[in-house]
Amino acid sequence: MATKRVLILAPLVLVAFLLQSWLWVPSYEHQTRGNPGRLEKFVEGSIGDAHFLNPVLSADSAASSILSLVFDPLLDLDENLALRGKLAERWEVTERAYLVVRPEARFPDGSPVTAAALRERLAAALGSEAASIRVLPAERRSERRELPLPGAEGEAAPPVAAELRVRVPERIALELGEVMPDLAERLAPLLGPGYLADFDPAPLVELPDGPAGEALRPEIPALLPALEHNPVLTFHLRRGVRFHDGHELDAGDVRFTYEAFMDPRNVSPRSSDFEPVKAVEGVDSHTVRVVYKRLFSPAVYVWASYGILPEHLLNAEALAREMDRRGIAAEARERFGLREAEFTRSPVGTGPFRFARWESDDMIQLERWGDYFAGPAQYRQYTMRVIPDLVTQELEFRAGALDLYPAQPHQAARYRDDPRYQSFSSTQFGYSYLGYNARSELLADPEVRRALGMAVDVDEIIRYVLYGEGERVSGPFAVTTEWYDRTVAPLPYDPEAARALLAAKGWRPGPDGILEKGGKRFEFTLITNNGNPQRKAIATIAQHAWRRLGIDCRVQLFEWAVFLKDFVNTGKFDAVVLGWSTGIDPDLYQIFHSSQTGPGQLNFTGYVNPEADRLIEAIRLEYDRGRQRELAHRLHRLIAADQPYTFLFAQRGTQVVDRKIVMVERDAEGRERLVPLRPSPTGQLDYWFTRWKKLDHTPDF
Amino acid sequence: MGGFLARALGQRLALLAVISVVAHAVILLAPGEPSEVDPMNPRLKPEDVARIRAAFHLDAPLHLQYAYWMRDLLSGELRSFKDGQPVLPKIWERFLNSVPIFLLATLIEWCLAFPTGIRAAVRRGSPFDRGSTLLSYALISFPSFFLAYLVIVGLVEAFDVPVIGMRTFGMESAELWYRAMDRVWHLAIPSLLAALTGIAVMSRYVRSQMLEVVAQDYVRTARAKGLPEDQVIYRHALRNALLPFVTMFGLMLPGLIGGSVIIEQIFAWPGLGRLGYDAILSRDFPVILTLNLFAAALTLAGTFLSDLLYAAVDPRIRVR
Repeated sequence: MATKRVLILAPLVLVAFLLQSWLWVPSYEHQTRGNPGRLEKFVEGSIGDAHFLNPVLSADSAASSILSLVFDPLLDLDENLALRGKLAERWEVTERAYLVVRPEARFPDGSPVTAAALRERLAAALGSEAASIRVLPAERRSERRELPLPGAEGEAAPPVAAELRVRVPERIALELGEVMPDLAERLAPLLGPGYLADFDPAPLVELPDGPAGEALRPEIPALLPALEHNPVLTFHLRRGVRFHDGHELDAGDVRFTYEAFMDPRNVSPRSSDFEPVKAVEGVDSHTVRVVYKRLFSPAVYVWASYGILPEHLLNAEALAREMDRRGIAAEARERFGLREAEFTRSPVGTGPFRFARWESDDMIQLERWGDYFAGPAQYRQYTMRVIPDLVTQELEFRAGALDLYPAQPHQAARYRDDPRYQSFSSTQFGYSYLGYNARSELLADPEVRRALGMAVDVDEIIRYVLYGEGERVSGPFAVTTEWYDRTVAPLPYDPEAARALLAAKGWRPGPDGILEKGGKRFEFTLITNNGNPQRKAIATIAQHAWRRLGIDCRVQLFEWAVFLKDFVNTGKFDAVVLGWSTGIDPDLYQIFHSSQTGPGQLNFTGYVNPEADRLIEAIRLEYDRGRQRELAHRLHRLIAADQPYTFLFAQRGTQVVDRKIVMVERDAEGRERLVPLRPSPTGQLDYWFTRWKKLDHTPDF
Repeated sequence: MGGFLARALGQRLALLAVISVVAHAVILLAPGEPSEVDPMNPRLKPEDVARIRAAFHLDAPLHLQYAYWMRDLLSGELRSFKDGQPVLPKIWERFLNSVPIFLLATLIEWCLAFPTGIRAAVRRGSPFDRGSTLLSYALISFPSFFLAYLVIVGLVEAFDVPVIGMRTFGMESAELWYRAMDRVWHLAIPSLLAALTGIAVMSRYVRSQMLEVVAQDYVRTARAKGLPEDQVIYRHALRNALLPFVTMFGLMLPGLIGGSVIIEQIFAWPGLGRLGYDAILSRDFPVILTLNLFAAALTLAGTFLSDLLYAAVDPRIRVR
C-alpha cells in the first residue's frame, strides 16, 4: 500500500539524512576539521544580546564587552587600576575659580572692596600659582532644567521644563595651576571671615513660579556661589589615531561625544554622568578642555568608561543624509537621534577590532583593525555568541565552539583539575550584604547590628553556598581597588560575644526562648528577591544563626519588581539580603550619604552619620589620589564600625579557557615568544586580550 | 459561501480587537518595568528614569498607550524598547528561523504518528501496542527540557561535537560541503526532539480514533469483500478517522510562536519563541504585545482554516 510506505519511508530517509551530517562536524580536539581558519577566531558566549552598540546608549554587559573592543576611551586603567592615557596621550588637571566682587563689603584692613583692589591682593597672595587673574564684568545668565516633579501619590511623572535666570555680579576669574579645594581657607585672611559666608545669592536669582520654582529653591547657593570652583581637565590627544573608516580622530570627536550624551533626543541612560560638566572646548585639533561646574573628582573616571564617537558619521548633516536615504517620515525626523541611527547597529570606533556583523539574539562579529594605534591584535576575528543558558554555554565550550566559559562556583574546582583546560579565578567587583533598616527601632543601634553580624558564620556561607568561590569583605569598596582598606578586619564569627552584646543592651530570653526587652520580642522579617538561590540560602543561614541567639526572624521572598516597589523603595522592611556591583571610583554618595535616604533612593537602609557624610563629600572634592585613598580608608573604617550592613563577601569568578590559547609577548629585541595566559594583578583575564593566540596543539610550558 | 466568509471574517476581526485590548491591559498592568528603566542601577538617576519612562509613553493613561501602540503598529513605526529596531521586520526575521524546525518536526511527526498509532490500534493488546503506549506516556510525562538536556549532554560528552545554535561558529571560511552539513546537523537534533514528543502525543490520538473506526460495519464489509488489510485500514478506515485531525491541523499554526519556546531556548535557536520569551523577561512591551496579537490572529486563522477543511473532508457538513 503506497500511503503506508510513504508515511513510513519518507520520514526515515529524512532522519537518516539529517543524522549522517554528524560525520562532517568539527569536535573539540579537531576544531580545524575542514576549517583551518578556526585558529584565527575567538568565540565567546554571552547570556543576553546587546541592546545598542553605542557607548552613549548602552547599559548592558554584552554591549559593553563589544564596545570595549570597538571603541577606545580617552583614558583607561592600567593593570593596577590607576588611570593612564589611551586616546589621550596625557592630561592635566587645573582649575578656574570665580570669586564674586562684593562692593558693599570691606577688607579686614577696612578698605572698601573693588574689583581692581581684589585682583591685586589675589595676585599678591597666590603668586605663581595663578596663571592669570582677570576681572569679569557683570552678566545675565539663564538656564533650562528638566525637573522630575513627583506626580500624585508619588508616582513618577514626565519631567517638567523650567527656566531660571541669574544676575551674575562682577567677578574675578582665576586660572590656577592645580585644583585647590582649600582655596576658601587660603583666602580667608585676605578676604576676612564673613566675605564668602555672608554672601546671599537669593536676590540675584529669578526662579520660575509654581512648584518648579519651589523645587529649585534649595539649589540657589549652588547656582551662584561666592567662590565657584571649575576644575578643568585638558586632554592632549594621540596623533594619527584613525577610526575604522580611515578618518582621523580629533578634538571635535571628543566634544561631539559629550554632546551626544547630553542630547535629549538620544535619551542616554548615562547623561547624568556628564551632568557636572560645564563645557567641552576644543583648544586646537588635538587638545580638548573639559570644564566642570564644581569640584567632583570621580568625574575623571567617566573618560575611562565611554568610547569616543566619530563626529563625521553622526553629526546633524550625517543624520539628515541617513534620514533622506531611509525616507524617514517628517514626524519621526524630529525625534530621530542615535537610538534610531543605523550606526547603533554597525558602530565605527578606533578600537582594536572593527564591527562586522550583528544578527539579533544570535551573534555579534568583529574583525581585526589592522591600523590599530597600539599594534594589531593576534586574532583575526572576534565573535560574541548569544547563548542564554549557562549549561548550553558549557556544552558549546566542551565541544570547542566557544573558547571561554565562565564556570559556575560549583564547577570551579572540577575545571581547575582538568588537564584539557586552563582556569583562572579572580575576585569580582561588588559585594553581597545583609542590610538593616536603620529606621527600625529594633535595628537602629549599631551594637545590635554588630551582634547580628557576629552571629552569622560568613566563612560557612562562602564554603557551602559559594563552594569556596568568594572572599570576605569588611566594607563598601571593591576589594581589588586601592580604596578598600585591607587593615579593617571583617566581623569575627562569635555567637557568644553576640549574645553578650545583646544582653548588655537589655535583651533577656523570654519564656519561649525568644529575647525580650520591656515586653517586646526580638522579631523581624528578612526579605530578598525570588529567583536567586544564593540569596535565599544566605537568608536561611542567617535566620538559623539568629534563631540560635534567640531572635525570631521570618524570611520572605518577593518577585524582583514587587520587592523593589513595595519594600525597598518605600523603606518598609526590616532587613534585606542584597548585593551591589561597585565601580572603580571611590564615590559612595548615592549608597551611603544621608541625603539619599528618600523613597526610591539608593541609601534605602537609611544610614545616617554626619562624619560619613563629611568623608563622602571630601572624597568627591579631593583631586589628589593619595589623600583620596586616605579619606576612603577612613570612610571604610567608619562604615565598618557602624555596620549599616553586615558585609558578607565579594564573589570570585572563574573563567575556563581552551588550553590551546596562549599569549604572545615581545622581548627587548622585539622577538616574539609564547607564554601562558595570565590575568592582570587585579584579576582581569582579558586585560591582554589583543595578544592572545590559539595554537593547533596543546603547548608545553 | 460568500456570506459565510464575510460573517466568519467579521466575527474574528471583532474578537481579535477585543483580545488585543484585554491582552494590552493585562500585559501593561502586570508589575515590572522595561529593563531600560532600572531603579536599582546606581548610575541611573531619577531624572534618567523619568525621561526614559516619558519617551516610552509609560506614564500615559492605559487607553492612550493602546492608541500609541496601534498607531505605531499600523504605520510600521513600532520599535522595540530593547534595541530600538522596528518590531515587524524583527518578527519576520525570527519567523523565517522558526519555520525550518517547525516544518521538519511537523512533517516527521505527522508522517510517523499515523503508522505508529494505526498499528497499535489494529493490533490492540499486542506487545507493539503496549510498548508504544509505554514509550508514548514516558515521553509525554518526561519534561521535554530535561530530555533535551540529556540528549545534548549525551551527544557532547560522547562525541565532543557542537549541537547548539543554527551552526557551529567559526565555520564561515570552511568548505561549502562542511558548512552545509554543519547546518543540517544543527537543524537535525532540535527538529527530531520536537518531532519525538509530537509523535508520542499524536500517535495516541490516532490510536484511539482508529480503535473507534475499525469496529465499524463498513470496515467489516471492506474486509469481507476480501480487500488487502493495508487497503482496508489506510483507505477505508483512515479516511473516516481523519476528522478530529482537521481541527488539530488548524490549531497547529499558533504553535509557530509558542510551540518551541523550550527547544529554542535550550538550543539557543534565534526563533519566534525565544523572541517572545526574551521580550517578556525584559518587559519589551511592543514586542510582547505584537507577538501576542499575532498568536491570537494565527489561532483565529487556524480555527477558520479547520472550519473550511471540515467542509471539504466531511460531505455531511456544508458551508452556508
